[in-house]
Amino acid sequence: MAASPASIRQRRSGLRFTDRRKLFLFCLAVPAVIYVIVVALYPLAQGILYSFYDYNLLRRGGRMVFVGLDNYVELLTDATGQRALINTFAFTFGAVFFEFIFGLGLAMLLWRDGRFNRIALAFLLIPVTITPLVVGLIFRALLAVDYGYIGYYLAEWGITSPRGLFAGTTTALPTLIFIDIWEWTPLVALILLAGLKSLPGDILEAASADGATAWQRFRLVILPLLLPTVFLALVLRMMDAFRVFDSIFVTTGGGPADATNSLMVYGVKQGLQFFNIGYASAIGNVTILCIAFIAAVFALLIRRADVRANET
Amino acid sequence: MIPVLWLVATAYKPPKDMFSSPPTFIFEPTLHNFQRVFEVFDVWSLLKSSIIISVGSAVLSLLLGVPAGYALARSNSRYAIWVAYFFLAIRIVPIIATLIPFYLMMRDIGLLGTWWAVILINTTLNCAFVTWMMFSYFRSLPSDMEEAALTDGCTLWGAFYRVALPTVVPGIIASALFCVMFSWNDFLVAMFLTNMDSKPLSVALLAAFGTKDITWGTLGALAHFSTIPIMLMALFLNRYFVQGLTRGVH
Repeated sequence: MAASPASIRQRRSGLRFTDRRKLFLFCLAVPAVIYVIVVALYPLAQGILYSFYDYNLLRRGGRMVFVGLDNYVELLTDATGQRALINTFAFTFGAVFFEFIFGLGLAMLLWRDGRFNRIALAFLLIPVTITPLVVGLIFRALLAVDYGYIGYYLAEWGITSPRGLFAGTTTALPTLIFIDIWEWTPLVALILLAGLKSLPGDILEAASADGATAWQRFRLVILPLLLPTVFLALVLRMMDAFRVFDSIFVTTGGGPADATNSLMVYGVKQGLQFFNIGYASAIGNVTILCIAFIAAVFALLIRRADVRANET
Repeated sequence: MIPVLWLVATAYKPPKDMFSSPPTFIFEPTLHNFQRVFEVFDVWSLLKSSIIISVGSAVLSLLLGVPAGYALARSNSRYAIWVAYFFLAIRIVPIIATLIPFYLMMRDIGLLGTWWAVILINTTLNCAFVTWMMFSYFRSLPSDMEEAALTDGCTLWGAFYRVALPTVVPGIIASALFCVMFSWNDFLVAMFLTNMDSKPLSVALLAAFGTKDITWGTLGALAHFSTIPIMLMALFLNRYFVQGLTRGVH
């Protein structure tokens, strides 16, 4: 009986083949794991440590004083901190809600394969690829009351206050939500469209052959099948919307009167402008907890939806 | 679409029409703003920084992430899936939570103000993203081909490099695309970690924005440089781009 090449190599190396394979895979994975631990996990752990200290780099000597949970208590009781927390949640849910509605509508419209749709699809990519910083700058200029194409007429016709959308405490946050919707609805549409295109065609045909109306088909067949993709799009956008920074930073910088301050903007200001390391670390950790919470809720929802889909 | 057209239009607008009130719609296009951009900024050096940072981070992320994704997908160990989830979790960490300690770390080892600092921190998120994405790619492919190659006398490395790797080229392109885009668009990290010599386009844009002698036209012209490369890349490779969007996260 001829020995297989694998068994020859086994004898030569002295190690059993499965063990060598394990070792090989281990060696492939290790560099990335070590890298992420050193450059991401280690700073993260340090950030958690800092958050329990009163630590300001600008103070002479830069001594760290242990203050326990004081930084967290301050964030949750301080008016600015509370405002930032509320703004971040309002921004996230407001923006993602409309992005989902519009994105689903766009995806349904572009579902059919055609020349027009392919061109429209290419255009959809454009807002997604523009640097978010530039998007913020564009809108800042467009909405300016004295020379912006949109801002000037809105103010001139008395639709908005003469000082513009970004200057009003009640209009600034909705304006930022609008910008986010403009920028990211195409992305949601693209993800949902990819989901729609992967739906099994025979089920859809069967449903229309059974005489289901368009709405029935949508509600009873398409939507349940699309559910995993829907969750994917929602989770992705929520996590990113929660971290919003660029657009706020270049348009309002968190103002007027904290009306648009988000956790990220607040944290960056505290940490990297005032070098209030302890407090900024606490803000960062609260942001992580919130995002993890959102992700966990969605993971549970996906599991439940999966179970339901399998039962029916 | 209007905001994009505005960006393009502004860049060719003569200064006198820039701040007219009410805004003018008809103007004589000029290249004046592009001239100004080159007078005020060292555009080529900014572009070079942006390219070094984004390509550097993409290459490093692929070198680390592709083998790791393969190993996790092919391993029979029950820990593999947890390691994969660990990479996914790293991806959702907001930058503010790691940036400050990282800033202090870079200051201590003297890398603050260099391209390395930006590349290193961008690579954590990108590498986590690539690992997770390649994990999902390799897992969806059967390992039969590699098994066959191994019994034909191929080495373990050969089975990975010559058999498995070519089958996931679309995934690698999609990953690279996203790494480059992510690093290119970032300015928060670069703003704090680079200095005059190493700052990329995005940081220059932000800095320019605050200064008096920069008009919207100049800014619009400068924004051309920061926007067009990524836009072209996405348009030409749009098949991979969309693939990356949908594969990278679940």
